[in-house]
Amino acid sequence: MPGKYKTAVVLERRELTEHISEITLGLADGSPLPASRAGAHVEIRFGGQDGRFLRHYSLIGPLSPVDDHEAFWRIAVQRENRRRGSDYIHRHFSAGTNVLISPALSPFRLTSDDGPVLLIAGGIGITAILPMLRSCMMRQRDVYMLYVGRRRDAMAYVEEVEALGGDAVTVHDATALGGRPDLDALLAQQPTDTTAYVCGPPALIEGTRQAAQRLGWAPERVRHEIFNAAHKAEDRAVTVQTRSGTQIPVSPGHTLLEALEAAGAETFSDCRRGECGLCITPVRNVDTDIEHRDRFLTPDQKRSNRQIALCCSRPRSGSIELDI
Amino acid sequence: MTHASQATPLNDEAIFDAMPMEESGQFANHVTPLIRNSWYVCARRDEVCRTPISRRLLDTDVVMYRTQGGQPVAMHNRCPHRAFPLVKGRIEDDRLVCGYHGMEFEPDGLCAHLPAISHVPANACVQTYPVADRGPLTWIWMGDPNLADEALIPKLPWLASPEWGTVTGDFHIKADYVSMHENLIDQTHFPFLHPGTVGTPEYARASMEASTEGDQVAITRRLDNAPPPGIYGKPADIMHKNVDRTSEARFASPAVHTAHAKIFDPQPDAGKPSVYGYYITHCFTPESNHSIHYWWFNSRDYRIDDTDIDDFLRDASTQAYYEDVEALEWIMDVVLSDKEAQQFELSFAPDKPGLMARRIMHRLAMTERG
Repeated sequence: MPGKYKTAVVLERRELTEHISEITLGLADGSPLPASRAGAHVEIRFGGQDGRFLRHYSLIGPLSPVDDHEAFWRIAVQRENRRRGSDYIHRHFSAGTNVLISPALSPFRLTSDDGPVLLIAGGIGITAILPMLRSCMMRQRDVYMLYVGRRRDAMAYVEEVEALGGDAVTVHDATALGGRPDLDALLAQQPTDTTAYVCGPPALIEGTRQAAQRLGWAPERVRHEIFNAAHKAEDRAVTVQTRSGTQIPVSPGHTLLEALEAAGAETFSDCRRGECGLCITPVRNVDTDIEHRDRFLTPDQKRSNRQIALCCSRPRSGSIELDI
Repeated sequence: MTHASQATPLNDEAIFDAMPMEESGQFANHVTPLIRNSWYVCARRDEVCRTPISRRLLDTDVVMYRTQGGQPVAMHNRCPHRAFPLVKGRIEDDRLVCGYHGMEFEPDGLCAHLPAISHVPANACVQTYPVADRGPLTWIWMGDPNLADEALIPKLPWLASPEWGTVTGDFHIKADYVSMHENLIDQTHFPFLHPGTVGTPEYARASMEASTEGDQVAITRRLDNAPPPGIYGKPADIMHKNVDRTSEARFASPAVHTAHAKIFDPQPDAGKPSVYGYYITHCFTPESNHSIHYWWFNSRDYRIDDTDIDDFLRDASTQAYYEDVEALEWIMDVVLSDKEAQQFELSFAPDKPGLMARRIMHRLAMTERG
């Protein structure tokens, strides 16, 4: 098949926690996959021959510093509550399943200087942070890591992380410790010129950014990778109306973009995570406020509610009329 | 947009069925089959004469000549007997005579005389292609001949009008026609690739509207009260003023891109016009998936006999287009030689017009393959 994708096959599947499965992928032709940079992710297309789901997953890499380079790629997939791509993976993936994989993409990467590193992982965000910890330990960089989870037994790779990082790692079990970590205190303890790398739910990223801002850190000292930009637990079903008057229902677990594609509308999209701006569409009318979750529109543009990023944003409820 | 979707509840399977295939399947690129059902330029009209010429068009070698009555003829440049290139033969009356064994072909491709034997076998014929002259160009249809409606030939009346003065040039480019179309409708590269000619910083920020009209894509821009770009302002001698400007760039067909610009001078100097019009016409025909023949025309509606302006516009256009040609050849080289990530490309919001055109080209290419 031409294009950027190569055919890969699931080599092995292993349950890490109740909701998280580890999946290793190898190229279907047996040739080795290259080692990826810490923090890199891959686009995976799956679901039938044409690969009609597209999802991004971090490449975890080897789990201990002594492991040699692995000729396969390791990802971990958390099953979400609703019927989406992750659910499809949990229901259908087993050794031998074919998928399409992109080359490794690494916009989330460690700085190449030797400055101090603070790593913050929340939940499944560990998949991007673990390889960064491993890289820092192997290169003997000054590193400290916080791994936040709902409950210790729901946190993937918690033992591997402790073995990799030793004293440099703090595991924050939110149930046992009764709440969120004190990010202000954490950031305040870091050496001057520390760069923080955060991966996890939007609240953790936003919390870290706000703490950094309060402490006067330059914005570029907090780097982040957003997982699950499009969905929140409180999302409700909404209706999209097109120029032609067609009403398209959008369930909480689907994006406006997916619903429009399913209805055969002429849409454009590329990144599907609120960054490229290709799916930005004019809004003709909307009942409620729009939950803007993209990084493309300016704050003023978001307040005006005259445009929407279909891949990740949605009205709080009710219906939205689009110029499409 | 289907109306049937209204009552259908969305589930994974419905989403699954409707999600686009991998990106390279959605937008035409250099591996997409060439669109054949389209009129393409095959030559400048005066090239097609009583001496045959040949040119490779859409992966096919074509020989062209003109009958005594002035009708252009295009046929496969290959004798059906032993593959001798017919362009190496000669013209006798209206017939093309093969230079190897003297087989004579009528303008309709049928063999009229085979010197070595006493009759003409019915299977001795050459593929011909519909061709037609329009203005300074000759057009060819390489697709299904039943669809070769001359009314579909792109209308470029300014190229033949006495009210417009035109300078022209051509290139042979080792790049694909999809990239060429995308380049021409992409305005965000102007200030970087063409800083000296067509790119002004103000214009890069002018708001843009893109729309599809059938199988065409048009983008329009308007910029008021700003200095003109050199390529328009210098020949009109209005570089010292602020002017208003509208422009349209149009993906007109797989063979043609047109640009139309109007410069409004709110306070024209004595004896000078208040409006200056330009049409830029880009015609290109794939030679293969990786190379194109490219003819360009720069037409203006003022001082059309001024040869100094001709010289300026010819040089400035050649410079600007050469910058595109060079860039596209570099890109083609990377795309063809980099085995690491073939066809990997990120797209951003300003790429939408180009993607609109590429989606149309992809649909046209896939539709005609059935």
